[in-house]
Amino acid sequence: MSVLSLDKLVPDYVKKFEPYIPSKPDPELMKLYGCKRLYRLNNNENPLGPPAAALEELSRFKPTGAAIYPSGDSYYLRQKLAALYGLDPDQFLVGNGANEVITFVIKAFCQEGDNIITADKTFAVYEWVAEFSGIEARLVPLKEFTFDDQGMLARADERTKVFFICNPNNPTGTYWDETRLRRFLDAVAGRQIVVMDEAYFEFVEKDDYPDGIKLLREYPNLIVFRTFSKMYGLAGLRIGYLAGDLKVVDIVRRTCVVYSVNTLAQDAAVAALDDEGHIWRTRRLIRAGKTYLKKELDRLGLENRSGEGCYMMVKLPMSDTLAYRKLMTLGVMIRSMTGFRYPNWIRVSIGAHEAMEAFASALKKILR
Amino acid sequence: MGDRTPARVSLKIYLDRRFLRMVTSFAEDSAKAFGLAEPEALKLTLACEEIFAYLCGAGHTDEEIAVEAENGGYYVRLKFLFKAQQFNLRALNLTSTVSSGDASSLEEMGLLIASKFVEGFHFAEDLQHGPGLVLIKEKAYPAPAGTELPEIGPVKDFHIASPGPENLKLFARLVAAHYPDHLYIESFRLPGKVVDMVASGEYGVKLAVGEQGQIAGGIVWRRLGAGTIESFGPYLFNQRADLGLSEELIASCIGQIARTDAIGLICRYPTPELPGGYFESLGTINLVRQAGVTMPQPVYYRELREDPGCRVWAHPDLEDFLRAEYSRLFFTRDIHLARHEGEQRPPHSIFAPQFDRANRQITLRAIWDGADAAANLAQHVKILSAEDLPNIFFEIDLACAWQAALTPALLNNGFSPRLVLPYGGRADVVVFQHRGGE
Ligand SMILES: Cc1ncc(COP(=O)(O)O)c(C=O)c1O
Repeated sequence: MSVLSLDKLVPDYVKKFEPYIPSKPDPELMKLYGCKRLYRLNNNENPLGPPAAALEELSRFKPTGAAIYPSGDSYYLRQKLAALYGLDPDQFLVGNGANEVITFVIKAFCQEGDNIITADKTFAVYEWVAEFSGIEARLVPLKEFTFDDQGMLARADERTKVFFICNPNNPTGTYWDETRLRRFLDAVAGRQIVVMDEAYFEFVEKDDYPDGIKLLREYPNLIVFRTFSKMYGLAGLRIGYLAGDLKVVDIVRRTCVVYSVNTLAQDAAVAALDDEGHIWRTRRLIRAGKTYLKKELDRLGLENRSGEGCYMMVKLPMSDTLAYRKLMTLGVMIRSMTGFRYPNWIRVSIGAHEAMEAFASALKKILR
Repeated sequence: MGDRTPARVSLKIYLDRRFLRMVTSFAEDSAKAFGLAEPEALKLTLACEEIFAYLCGAGHTDEEIAVEAENGGYYVRLKFLFKAQQFNLRALNLTSTVSSGDASSLEEMGLLIASKFVEGFHFAEDLQHGPGLVLIKEKAYPAPAGTELPEIGPVKDFHIASPGPENLKLFARLVAAHYPDHLYIESFRLPGKVVDMVASGEYGVKLAVGEQGQIAGGIVWRRLGAGTIESFGPYLFNQRADLGLSEELIASCIGQIARTDAIGLICRYPTPELPGGYFESLGTINLVRQAGVTMPQPVYYRELREDPGCRVWAHPDLEDFLRAEYSRLFFTRDIHLARHEGEQRPPHSIFAPQFDRANRQITLRAIWDGADAAANLAQHVKILSAEDLPNIFFEIDLACAWQAALTPALLNNGFSPRLVLPYGGRADVVVFQHRGGE
């Protein structure tokens, strides 16, 4: 038998890195925790599911088509996005979820010794991808639950390649308005790439919330992320995209994996974009869910935050990971926030009313 | 030599007594090059001599082993690395004796002797390199000069910061001045050592700094085992409880470790300032500090991840204990029973020690099952009790059915289960304590 010398094969930054352990499939979890039903309120999925038009498109899919490779560059989807936003189709790059395009951007711009700048308490994947690629992630503490523009600018040096800003921020729900974003972009002045992750764009109803895609013409160093996983309810199909200046996207395209987005996902996404009604219905449900939940949480005397996005944060008088275990036994799955560096907070996705009631009642039980 | 000193040197050598001098010179020279003063270097050399002579007695002269010395900043680590098949691993039991050919030392237990010269002694099972024995000798540091400590009043505002060396030393002195001995790491009496401990990366510290730069408090943490981090504190110096200093210090510690491979945070030395609601109580162990003085030591824990549940092995005699603990702590575990049912077992068990002589404590772990487990355990207890190590622990990893099956041997030898440490090993670990410590 040959001896595997992993020690020599593996780069140090990979050795240090801990693989992400996704939660087990629902049936396994239900068996483990002994619950008959499980409300999934941990991943910010859309309780209404995909838009009707996408469902119809999915049901039209012929299973024999599974033998055929998808469009390698999501041709029709990019055409559609281009028409929708008045941009060139080549300004879009579609990935296997927005998560994949995070990887593309870091690979395209960073090499050993470079760094990226993001916040300490935000979506973890920017930091993770950087670290397991051997790139330093500089984490600037949030200020008042919000990305700290001045703090981020102050941490930049000549090896800083990318700023990652989650707008609105997952998990705090705060956002930079257009003035603040423009001020930041003006200060960066094209020296670095600025990524605005707008995964929750379609949920925001505030007038001063900026549409990153509209700013691309003025700021060629801006890259905008969007996903079909949240508002469009296609998380299981894995599809998201980035939009940017032609020259920038041309660079990022060199590091991207072609054929990583499957046919079903592409077709469903094209159809989903036509369904305006779905967005209104979802927003209405989220609004109602937040109002209900806020009342319940206030009544329980629990500090909570509901900003933009389809989720809320709740501070508990106990360890969040203990709360996770207790809530699981009652059939409610939430996100514990130790991993977001918010110990004793949980994040709960806004779901249908029944799920919100189940969550509120379970919470009451575990606090007794 | 300055910056050009390598951090690690190694020697490949045959298990042959004629090389004893070469090994001891290697140990002594590297110990000194890595910063141990004469007396400490000598002790490490003596320990090394014991171990090499012992291994020679247990192995064969035509076998090669590696000896490695490493500069750990505040200590020097010496490792003996060998292949499992090189000699009868049974010799690794603390209780075993080997003939040195010299009748007078026939009964001497080389490993036990070696352990007395050093601060750390343990068995390491490294999947890459095979098993090894590890000795850790800490450097000597001067006691702090009797400078006055600043008087610290309550702050109105504060921020959390990583300390530079001078603030770190001041923090160490403040901790030692404001808290009883049993609530901080002994090394905190030596400020210079604390600086080196943090520089080594093995310890982390965050301070709460007041509006005028005064140190209002702090928290300390270190890695304890594979997936476990241990925290100390939070320590506060004359501060009001309602400002949230303790909570912010705990949060800053958790923030540092939350996205690492750590699974759990354990706290065995909680100060009165430990805020409620952040930790769960795993149970209590009883520690003998001086003769006749036993102190209960509560063990607090928090998980750093969402628990995925797991499968564990349990002997029927431990099942009730485990079910009660798992249900109290809301851990879902799929419990499978494991017991010996007359099947053949290897003849000889091996238990690996981890010494903590400063706390008069030893932890044993089973690395090999054997039909003689109960007798071997009895022998260990007998020897350790005579060694002024009244705090004897035994940890079993419930990922291994054969370890779970050691339960009757433990119960029959005066051990009782004290607590379950979630994911303390490959799966949950049950900590047994010998009643001598109660
Ligand atoms: C802020 C943010 N960005 C990106 C993603 C990843 O989305 P996708 O499912 O498209 O990979 C998420 C998903 O949770 C998110 O919250």
